[in-house]
Amino acid sequence: MKQTIYLMAIREALDEELQRDDKVFILGEDVQQGTFGTTTGLVDKFGPERIMDTPLAETAVAGAAIGAAQAGFRPVADMMFGDFMYIAGDEIMLKAAKWRFLHGGKVNVPVVIMAAVGGGMKLGAEHSMIPEAMIMHTPGLKLAVPSTPYDAKGLLKTAIRDDNPVVFFYHKGLLGLPGEIPEDEYLIPFGQADVKREGSDVTVVATSAMVQQSLAVAEQIKDKVSVEIVDPRTLEPFDLDTIIESVKKTGRVVIVDEDTKRCGITAEIGMQIMENGFDYLDAPIQRVAAANMPIAAGFMEEHVLPQPKNIAGAIEAVMA
Amino acid sequence: MELTQDQLIKLYTLMVRTRKCDELIVNALKSGKAIGFFHSGQGSEAVPIGACTFNLRDDDYLYPHHRGHGIGYMLARGLSPKPFVASHMGRVAQDVEGPTARERGIHGGSGTIGASFVLSAGMGITAKKNGKNQITACFFGDGSANRGTLHEAMNLASVWKLPIVWVCENNLYAQYMPLKDSMAREDIADLASGYNMPGVIVDGQDVLAVHEAVKAAVDRARAGEGPSLVECKTYRYRGHSEGGPDISHYEPRPAKELEEWKKRDPIKLFRENLLQQGVLTDADVERIDKEIEAEAETLEKYADECPIPKPEDPSVLDRLLYAE
Ligand SMILES: Cc1ncc(C[n+]2csc(CCOP(=O)(O)OP(=O)(O)O)c2C)c(N)n1
Ligand SMILES: [Mg+2]
Repeated sequence: MKQTIYLMAIREALDEELQRDDKVFILGEDVQQGTFGTTTGLVDKFGPERIMDTPLAETAVAGAAIGAAQAGFRPVADMMFGDFMYIAGDEIMLKAAKWRFLHGGKVNVPVVIMAAVGGGMKLGAEHSMIPEAMIMHTPGLKLAVPSTPYDAKGLLKTAIRDDNPVVFFYHKGLLGLPGEIPEDEYLIPFGQADVKREGSDVTVVATSAMVQQSLAVAEQIKDKVSVEIVDPRTLEPFDLDTIIESVKKTGRVVIVDEDTKRCGITAEIGMQIMENGFDYLDAPIQRVAAANMPIAAGFMEEHVLPQPKNIAGAIEAVMA
Repeated sequence: MELTQDQLIKLYTLMVRTRKCDELIVNALKSGKAIGFFHSGQGSEAVPIGACTFNLRDDDYLYPHHRGHGIGYMLARGLSPKPFVASHMGRVAQDVEGPTARERGIHGGSGTIGASFVLSAGMGITAKKNGKNQITACFFGDGSANRGTLHEAMNLASVWKLPIVWVCENNLYAQYMPLKDSMAREDIADLASGYNMPGVIVDGQDVLAVHEAVKAAVDRARAGEGPSLVECKTYRYRGHSEGGPDISHYEPRPAKELEEWKKRDPIKLFRENLLQQGVLTDADVERIDKEIEAEAETLEKYADECPIPKPEDPSVLDRLLYAE
């Protein structure tokens, strides 16, 4: 194993896949420099024909990637901020998601749409979103939401090789997160949740940066409550089995997510547990998610986005 | 109509104030006082000041460009800089005097660049429906010009003869992307012919030239003759955003480029012009600098005393989301 950080793990995955398959290329605004460091330096190795700086035109970034994917390439479109995916709504939610279906299953769309997501930087309503629900809601798209350097690298490599459109969200708050990855090549299959911490009293299901936040809370309260943390890693495909196995053991569930609470992924996951694991539950499911409002800028961001105290509070409530 | 001496001095003073407020936030970020992003507009003060100070009526509509986070537009329209300074420190402005942004028709800055084109079209429809010869001014950058929203909005505005003035602040870069690699042409004004509207190029370092060109476009819009495009050639002195690299693609921007543009600094050019004409004396220049320096110090102290909102008390957010 070797030490790395989250953003380097992403860069390494891109580097290896660009090296392995000349059908892979990256396009997006300022990807040669890389706004978040995830693509920095790749242009030195692969040149501007494969690391393509685009004009400021998100519709074209996503659309061109999707078109090239239909024609047999494996483009990675970097949308910069996840919020900007709304600008390419038709391309991502309609074209990438539906066109295999509409072409009678005869044309694949092996594109990766990646974006930096999430709050913590006090950047306000249009630069802080993690629009997981929008993607998970849309049949035809896959969604990876890595919470560690290990997961980021393994999931991104799988995403690039997948014959379907995959949305890959890297969290701005995790970019510098240290962690270990194998020296040798590895991939992480989609649809396999990972138990990030074992415990016996309560199952916390969390994604992306909320996994790290939940781990910190679990450590703080370990003398009082034994917390198990399950990270689905991909929201589509979604590994319900691992969660249900955990619930059989604990009987209690808290779902933690940074996207908006209303119609958010906590609602979907909670309902799936109800439908498939109701008999194992000893208490109503608790959920922690962003308040039903835009992400306020500045210090008020903290009011909208889930905080450690909210997670601790929900664990306390489900244990009561 | 020629500008009076007082008006000329006002243009000068506003540019100096715009620069000072910008510097204030740059320094506050360095010292850790300010939070979030800041995209400095230093070098391009003549665009908002020249365009907006004397050409717009209070009931016109205005979508500012994001650079400088709107400070030039706010000052040009007679707004207090207090909310600008306080909000960059994460604080809630108190005791703000003068008109509000809404009272001067200022909307946006959008977090998503290029959103204002189509919204401006709506403001243009409104201005037309109101029948009071209002106009809408929409400002954007060279990078923003690559959004598809530009096409949709400009086409609509031209077909419907909407009273819109599009003003491009072409500073040759969009984040790290140089204009030469993002557009197959040099002049954004060329776009206008595709929509059958006038497109003019103006020296964006010359505040009077900006004033004149935008005035002609505003007059045309008010007269019901439809939209126009004014392209202001300018430059940004600093990197795309504070704390980030100052680069073209992934290499440093040519130092010579900055040097050349600084020779044509909009404040310096206008000061020399006014000194030469005898509109200002050296003593005036010194006095203006001192006054603005003092204003900046007061502003910073003021911001330090404004309250930081408390996340546990969401009252500042209550009532924001939905109308009653
Ligand atoms: C839709 C969208 N894409 C990308 C960004 C990130 N971004 C902010 S400003 C900017 C460059 C804008 O360039 P330009 O329009 O030339 O204005 P300038 O900053 O040069 O004044 C970019 C890429 C954004 N905020 N919104
Ligand atoms: Mg620009």
